Amino acid sequence: MSLHAIKRTVDMQIIAEWVDPRSRVLDLGCGRGVLLDYLKQTKDVHPVGVDLDFDKISACVRRGLTAYQGDMMAFMQAFPAGHFDRVIFSRTLEELSEPGAVIAEALRVGKSVTVGFVNHAYWKNRADIFLRGRKPLNPVYTTEWFESRPTNPVSIADFEHLCASRKIRIARRAHLSGDWKTTCGFAPNLLAGYALYDLTQ
Amino acid sequence: MNDADDDLLVNTRSEPGEVGLVEARDFVAGTPFTFDNGQTLPGFTLRYETYGRLNAARDNAILICHALSGDHHCAGIHSLNDRKPGWWNNLIGPGKAVDTNTFFVLCANVIGGCQGSTGPSSLDPRTGRPYGITFPAVTIRDMVRTQKLLLDSLGIQSLYAAIGGSMGGMQVLQWGIEYPSFVKRLLAMATTAREGAQAIAFNEVGRQAIIQDPEWNNGYYPKSGGPRVGLAIARMMAHITYLSDASMDRKFGRKAVAAHHKPAPAAAMDVSELSMEGIDPVAPPAAFNVQFEVESYLRYQGQSFINRFDANSYLYITRALDQFDLAAAHGSLENAFAKVEAATLVVGFTSDWLFPPDQNRAIALALLRAGKRVSYAELSTDLGHDSFLLESPQLYDLVRGFLN
Repeated sequence: MSLHAIKRTVDMQIIAEWVDPRSRVLDLGCGRGVLLDYLKQTKDVHPVGVDLDFDKISACVRRGLTAYQGDMMAFMQAFPAGHFDRVIFSRTLEELSEPGAVIAEALRVGKSVTVGFVNHAYWKNRADIFLRGRKPLNPVYTTEWFESRPTNPVSIADFEHLCASRKIRIARRAHLSGDWKTTCGFAPNLLAGYALYDLTQ
Repeated sequence: MNDADDDLLVNTRSEPGEVGLVEARDFVAGTPFTFDNGQTLPGFTLRYETYGRLNAARDNAILICHALSGDHHCAGIHSLNDRKPGWWNNLIGPGKAVDTNTFFVLCANVIGGCQGSTGPSSLDPRTGRPYGITFPAVTIRDMVRTQKLLLDSLGIQSLYAAIGGSMGGMQVLQWGIEYPSFVKRLLAMATTAREGAQAIAFNEVGRQAIIQDPEWNNGYYPKSGGPRVGLAIARMMAHITYLSDASMDRKFGRKAVAAHHKPAPAAAMDVSELSMEGIDPVAPPAAFNVQFEVESYLRYQGQSFINRFDANSYLYITRALDQFDLAAAHGSLENAFAKVEAATLVVGFTSDWLFPPDQNRAIALALLRAGKRVSYAELSTDLGHDSFLLESPQLYDLVRGFLN
């Protein structure tokens, strides 16, 4: 298994622990439906995925998942408050424009919101900037800057700042070390490679 | 009712990858059928075709629903001399996305149609003359209810899927609402849950072209005659709405027709049609003869349509489209879908301006709000409304993935 695949699995296991069985789960930026498929099999959830890409939706359909091709904001705006038990952003956050507004909308349509993201302030990422003066390039950030989509890198401190300033309640958090397996209990903004948050209004 | 069970096992000759030679059959319902508008016919006929075999459990049947100008002949050929196979031959066949090695595929000409099913051009047994405009108003729901009687007559216990584009997609949605436990999967493409003002407007122009043609004669015309000019114009106009700016420009651009050009090849058409006299009995000044290829193409579309379609059927079926509004019929779209049990897939096409992506999205979103299992995919094409007939490996993969 590639490093990326291993990391992906750990990410999924933590999210699955937080998800209630048979709940209605919305995965924004669902890709090919790997996470939703896992949640369906382990937690028997009612999954809905949203993605922009036809082939990704097609892959979800092949897995027997329900998925919607389109803009996630427009999608959420079509639903009443609290329609979903949980809304998940798994490594989607940094590709959003106006993530604050998107999270606010997710907190409206979802009773809880799970956010998982790579900590851009992890020391190795800082080192890339500080020592090399270059954009991080590693198994997580796999593309050169000139081949990348525009991203909006976020750190743990950045995210906690958003929650504090918008009065978003953090019900649970998980900070993982650079291996994305062991829990990171000390100076997470410097030492954690990956962060997961469970939010409520 | 016909007794077609044994017929189902008749193997159609086929080449690898093709359905091959097929024959239409008639389902003759001998019991009265009451239309949504309250009128009753003593019986009716639906002409249909089938491909593949019904399995022992009788649960592998897929119903294909056709669009306004379509018919029951959606795959295979009727004779080796056929120029073209059925209209969805690219999707249906052995090893294709709708795999006839696995599925028993049926398609019936809709009630009110003119390709063998009972419609305005059929003889009214009570008068011995064509029904004409005494035929009951037809709805999408009438189409679906008559199809159900056909399936019952074949001993089909459930539908593995109902599939259709455009008006066919409306029937698919109606199937899910009308017979929720009978149909397991709904696949609706390039369609709408509510015929909008623009689509009604296009239909109305087509109907006026027919009705204002003196040959229409209040719907009473001989089988070979009738409002040929009006029907051809209706088809020319409608055909534009099935294409797109980009696809027309790519195909025709501003290409001029050669001098003395005869519009489009068609061995089967007689000379008077080729001369366009059927379109315009008054010889126009030379400046208004066909100059551009797109004009020639549209005139050909109009001319070939009048040879296969009945003007009154066109009036009836476009009205059925106009009347289709699931939200109004059930209070809201969510209410309309409340009873749906099937897993649903809705497919929109970016360049479809007759039933644009938004109208397809609205179906999926309402089903989701109603707590149903539905996916929505949107294919980027520039071929307009007719994109659902497109030869697209991406679309095939999606359909195959949904069915398997």
